[in-house]
Amino acid sequence: MIKKRTVQSLKNELRSNPTAIIGVAIFTLLLFGAIFAPILAPHDPTTQYTDRTHQAPLGFGGESEQTQLVDGEMQTVVEDNSGTLNHALGTDANGRDILSRSLYGLRTSLLVAITAMTISLIVGTTFGLVSGYYGGRIDDSIMRFVDVILAFPSLLMALALFGILGPMTVFVPDPFAALGIVEDRPAVTPFPGTVTLAISAVIWVWIARVARAEARQVRNQEYVTAGKTMGMSNFAIIKNHVLPNSLTPILVLGTVQLATIIIIESSLSFLGFSGTTLSLGFDIAFGRDYLSNSWWISSIPGLFIVAAVISINLLGDWFRDALDPDIQGGGGR
Amino acid sequence: MADLTQFALRRIGQSVVVIWGIITLVFLLRFLTPQDPAALVAPDDASSALVDQIRQDLGLTDPIVIQYFRYLADVAQGDLGFSYGSGVHVNDLILGALPATLELAFAALVFALVISIPLGVLSANRRGTNTDAATNIISLGGLSTPNFWLGIMLILLVPVQLGVLPTGGRVGPTQDLVAWMAHMILPTIALGTYFMALLFRMTRNNVIEELNKEYVRAARAKGLPENIITVRYVLQNSMAPVITVAGLQLGLLIGGSVVVEAVFNWPGIGSLFIQALNTADWPIMQGILIVVGIGYVVINIVVDILNAKLNPQVSLS
Repeated sequence: MIKKRTVQSLKNELRSNPTAIIGVAIFTLLLFGAIFAPILAPHDPTTQYTDRTHQAPLGFGGESEQTQLVDGEMQTVVEDNSGTLNHALGTDANGRDILSRSLYGLRTSLLVAITAMTISLIVGTTFGLVSGYYGGRIDDSIMRFVDVILAFPSLLMALALFGILGPMTVFVPDPFAALGIVEDRPAVTPFPGTVTLAISAVIWVWIARVARAEARQVRNQEYVTAGKTMGMSNFAIIKNHVLPNSLTPILVLGTVQLATIIIIESSLSFLGFSGTTLSLGFDIAFGRDYLSNSWWISSIPGLFIVAAVISINLLGDWFRDALDPDIQGGGGR
Repeated sequence: MADLTQFALRRIGQSVVVIWGIITLVFLLRFLTPQDPAALVAPDDASSALVDQIRQDLGLTDPIVIQYFRYLADVAQGDLGFSYGSGVHVNDLILGALPATLELAFAALVFALVISIPLGVLSANRRGTNTDAATNIISLGGLSTPNFWLGIMLILLVPVQLGVLPTGGRVGPTQDLVAWMAHMILPTIALGTYFMALLFRMTRNNVIEELNKEYVRAARAKGLPENIITVRYVLQNSMAPVITVAGLQLGLLIGGSVVVEAVFNWPGIGSLFIQALNTADWPIMQGILIVVGIGYVVINIVVDILNAKLNPQVSLS
């Protein structure tokens, strides 16, 4: 369905555009880190090393005097929290390894983002193409419904849907643990079902709008008229003509929306509505209470989100510059 | 002119349908919840007879159609119902929280406009230079940073490390003007940065497009100074779409303020919504969704009509 010409212009743009290369590199690295988290993470993300709490990342921290209650008496003890290679990005207040937690959190984020994007693409493209192709009353009712959903800020709507559905976390067996490739790692990956559904419910409308606009343009092309004259069914025309010719802008918007989804997902888990604790937003919220003595607990998971979103935005710019579809990159958090 | 009136009427007509859809969807949302409102309203030690009585009083035993029309009628009269938890009128709760949110959204909007437009013009004028590259990198960062994490990083850097500015909370402007502003600074930056980056990109692209037009070449050939060309012609001609987006994305600021309010303990409708969500207090959530949704639709109409009035090129179809 994706034309050779499309691939060629993507390649040409990549050659002349260094930021696109940076985007591809960061995204590949993060995707690799997320998929192979069980192998790459140095520790189990849930293990609490109680003797190593608040340990700073490598190159930070040091000795400090702390007042502690020892044997019923207040004593001043010298504590050393300097970073070690064993916990390269430090540990949190419960002694959990931050690098491992961030990799697993990234895994959750990308899993939710890719699933929600797939659902949104399927639903949004279907409704958008039908709406644009048929026009008239079908178009009116679908688009008014889309307008209703667009009137709510995505995050507010997703929160309300979470309130209705509850957490609905699905525990997916981790392939690496199931195959015995790794030991001492969680056997299941929590997949936040509600978050995925709630996000899909607010993102598909953006896709539908673009798909509709494309279908309206394609509808009046001669090859569609020819197809109709030849007696092709509407379904066949949509499948063989309208869809392939609308796909590029839909996929470009989809890429940009992937970034929005990651931000909504982390916002939901930051607010405590996610159904899993293995998430970057949850860790950021957890670290808030320790800003004055352990800055890294909140900062590092956030850097992972920023890196993921930057790389996706760069990919989106690359697609847009290469394919130059005429769309308004809508967002809405 | 007749065209414009017709356009405005059609636009308003469409919006009435959307507003009806908003109210209907919000009504259905509450209906889908598994919680029993009567159990939430009743005290913890209430007998089942009392809970039944409350259910009847709330009208929950009536058929859904009756409940729906009652809800439509109430909302049409501006009555958003009562909180399950506290029994306070939802209108009062929202009116109490709305100023804090609007104030923050407005401050963020001003912050975003004041920084993004000059930077966008500067960057476009110096396209391809280091200034352009630097501002582009900053805007990419702004577009990619979740506002709640930015807020936490601001708290970490400013109040925690430097010891200036409060970490959160709000003081009314009538109580103490300086404290009011001090409390506003960090939440405004946290909320406005994404928006600033978005408007920067738009301004830059529009100005670049405008600079390539014939009339600019003509003005240059005539010997007009570059500053006058930029400010008088290019800026004016490229601002219309930026202002449209600024108006339309106010909803984005309201949505974003939900998390920023949580970070800074800002007592706005975002905090009210989260509180209500945690206690399954649906009338509050429904009220906020309706107010925000209708607000968005109304802003949309105003922006569309203004645009059609100001810019004759906008097709009225």
